[in-house]
Amino acid sequence: MSILRHTLTGAIALGVVAATTPALAFPDKPIEFVIPFGAGGGADIEGRLLAKEMSKVLGVPVTPVNRTGGGGAVAYTHTKNAKPDGHTVVWNSTSVLTSTNLGNTDFLYDALDHVGRVEFQPQPFAVRADAPWKDFGEFVTACKAAPGTLKVANAGTGSSTHTAAVMLMNAVGCKVIHLPKGIKGRNKSVLNGEANAMIAPLTGAVNLTKAGKLRLLVMPTDTRSSIFPDVPTAKELGYNVSLDLFRGLSVPPNTPNEIKKILADAMAKAANSEAFLDLAKKKGFTVAPLGHEAFSKLLAEENVKVRAIFASAGLLPTK
Amino acid sequence: MSPEVLIGLTQSTGLLVLLSTGIGVTIGLIVGMIPGLTISTGIIVLLPVTFVLPADISIALLLGLYVGGMTGGSFSAVLLNIPGTPSASATAMDGYPMAARGEAGRALGIAITASFIGGMVSFLFLFSIAPLLANVALEFRTEDMFAVVFFGLTIICSFAAKSLIKGLLSAAIGLAIVTIGQDPVMGTQRFTFGQVNLMAGVHFLTAMIGLFAIPQLVANLTDGTGSASRVQTRLTSVLPKLSDLKAIRRSVSIGSLTGAFLGILPGAGGPIAAFISYEYARKASKRPDEFGTGVVEGVAAPESANNAVTGGALIPMMTLGIPGDPVTAILIGALIIHGLAPGPLMFLERADFAYGLIFSFLWANIFNFIIALAALRLLVKILATPRALLMPTVAVLCVIGSFALRNNFFDVYVMLLFGLIGLAMRWLDMPVVPLLLALVLGSQLEENLRVALTSSQGDISIFFTSPISLGFLILSLLSIVWSLRSARRANRVTSPPHKETPP
Repeated sequence: MSILRHTLTGAIALGVVAATTPALAFPDKPIEFVIPFGAGGGADIEGRLLAKEMSKVLGVPVTPVNRTGGGGAVAYTHTKNAKPDGHTVVWNSTSVLTSTNLGNTDFLYDALDHVGRVEFQPQPFAVRADAPWKDFGEFVTACKAAPGTLKVANAGTGSSTHTAAVMLMNAVGCKVIHLPKGIKGRNKSVLNGEANAMIAPLTGAVNLTKAGKLRLLVMPTDTRSSIFPDVPTAKELGYNVSLDLFRGLSVPPNTPNEIKKILADAMAKAANSEAFLDLAKKKGFTVAPLGHEAFSKLLAEENVKVRAIFASAGLLPTK
Repeated sequence: MSPEVLIGLTQSTGLLVLLSTGIGVTIGLIVGMIPGLTISTGIIVLLPVTFVLPADISIALLLGLYVGGMTGGSFSAVLLNIPGTPSASATAMDGYPMAARGEAGRALGIAITASFIGGMVSFLFLFSIAPLLANVALEFRTEDMFAVVFFGLTIICSFAAKSLIKGLLSAAIGLAIVTIGQDPVMGTQRFTFGQVNLMAGVHFLTAMIGLFAIPQLVANLTDGTGSASRVQTRLTSVLPKLSDLKAIRRSVSIGSLTGAFLGILPGAGGPIAAFISYEYARKASKRPDEFGTGVVEGVAAPESANNAVTGGALIPMMTLGIPGDPVTAILIGALIIHGLAPGPLMFLERADFAYGLIFSFLWANIFNFIIALAALRLLVKILATPRALLMPTVAVLCVIGSFALRNNFFDVYVMLLFGLIGLAMRWLDMPVVPLLLALVLGSQLEENLRVALTSSQGDISIFFTSPISLGFLILSLLSIVWSLRSARRANRVTSPPHKETPP
């Protein structure tokens, strides 16, 4: 009983300290770093390294925890319901827009507080290296000549790559068959000719493109990739569309601004650490930290885009 | 040799990798030896530990356990007449009579040697066939993969030998469970009842821990034998004599080849291979009548076969991503957790890792031989460990394992629920393996079916126009007919069928 009393006294004392000096109390214990996707994937590898670097900056362990399911819905729901004290952060991505708009959660992206963006990567449109279409224009011509026959593989309905595929095909005005395939199956299906093309995050296609097995025809993004500077952007080809895969940090709603600020600083430092920049160079993503304001603006813009694309594909839930 | 082969060889000989192979083998020998702990349980329990280890080290550990477990099962089969693992059931038929004559050391020496030869033969199979098959498998399209998975599922029939209805019911339950969670094609939710925790579906490892470990714990609790007191821990010369080695030549060849071949077939696994090669060896022997009275050939054939299964079962796992037996099903889960989805692309993208795995398997077999022979006297003493110590440990590890899989306590409840399902199935004498196979293969079956039909715009003929798909569908038909016929024949010949063996 006395132990309990001591603990209680201690807790009350801590509470008093916390109440009087709120900004200094953070972080005072390990931070849970929620990763919405499975161990070993792109989100996981990048997230784990960022967490490690953040932990060096913050001086407390930043522990990666994979909470998978629902295209990110499980992780976002967990974070939304967590205590808004900064000790739970989620490694978000474009999935914070897609999984929510798909109706996997009963809230939208703005139910969370957003710390900032860390990185982004284009989602190239790739074909087999020996495919008959030398550039995107030839693919579009072939597609229009035989509508509804060419197959474009992507990660499946409501995924970021599917959203990009629908967006791109809407823009060029041709009908294709969307094949839902995980990244391994997607690469395989393009290589063996089952799918005519695919959309993948650049990190998922970079190895096979460098190995001369895949050819990138276009990237629906704003500026050319530094790794593949020969690949045109969609805008250069006259299609005014872009949708990048971004990753950043979000926290539970009503997290105090002082705490968000501390997290944002640590995030930016970790993103610009040597180890993280090395990984970016190796994997093909662009490190470009954005603060709370800029990221919120980006999220709002991208959300409008995603909703419009979902509406065109009939994916918005009818509530 | 291509550079990847050499890199793989180098990776597999890293100090930590070799060390974990050795540790894995030792744990495997112990786990395999203890009746009531199967290899599947051992790997499931060890799995959470591997989450924090690098991929090559984890896989080396698990492969070591797999190989060691197959051999360890023979120890208790010989010494106690209780097979430590179902795969060692056939070993007891001649091993125990030998031990009863006071030749326990000789029987175990033969078992260990036969295991080693079987393992090495299957390594050669794995090393030479897997890369070729991976190349071929790269050409497999969605419809072909559907047919391959379907073929894997037809193996259910051979586990349903006692009652086809119960076997199919078990599989149907498995397939129904797979539908929980996000629809693999449309992304909509199915049977989640608004429960966020169900969105990712039931993880098959969670289900497996419940299905296998819980009923085993309960059975151990209720059978009340405690520790085995009849153990003959005094062993005479373990090293096999030259005359014995000569005598087992033929049965080891039969066992190794049968085991490796049956291992490649999805789902067949150790127990079936051991019994079949025991039968073949008996028929091929000059003295078939003496089988069952304690002849060395009767120990050598099943022991070489069950270890040969391991390498064989790794072939479909690595090249197609389809498990060859329950253990490789768990290994697939372990590899995916480390971001290495087994399949044909593994040889293209991570050939170094793929070859590293193959060579780790080689080391596991060599270590198994050495450790088993050298530490046999010490190891068998563990058979005297009271279960009162062992089983609570396993129970705790079950809870940790199911939690650590997704860091979600909800999964612990799911695991316990599956424990109850497992108990009910055991009570109803319903085989669990069909349910397990359905859980492992079900989502692939559905996904490939639906993606193929998306691709063909709903035209079902896509499965019959692709030669690969058609070939596997025909094989599936043959597999069903063959297993049903052999089951009927087996029921006629041996009217008191041997006890049902969970994996």
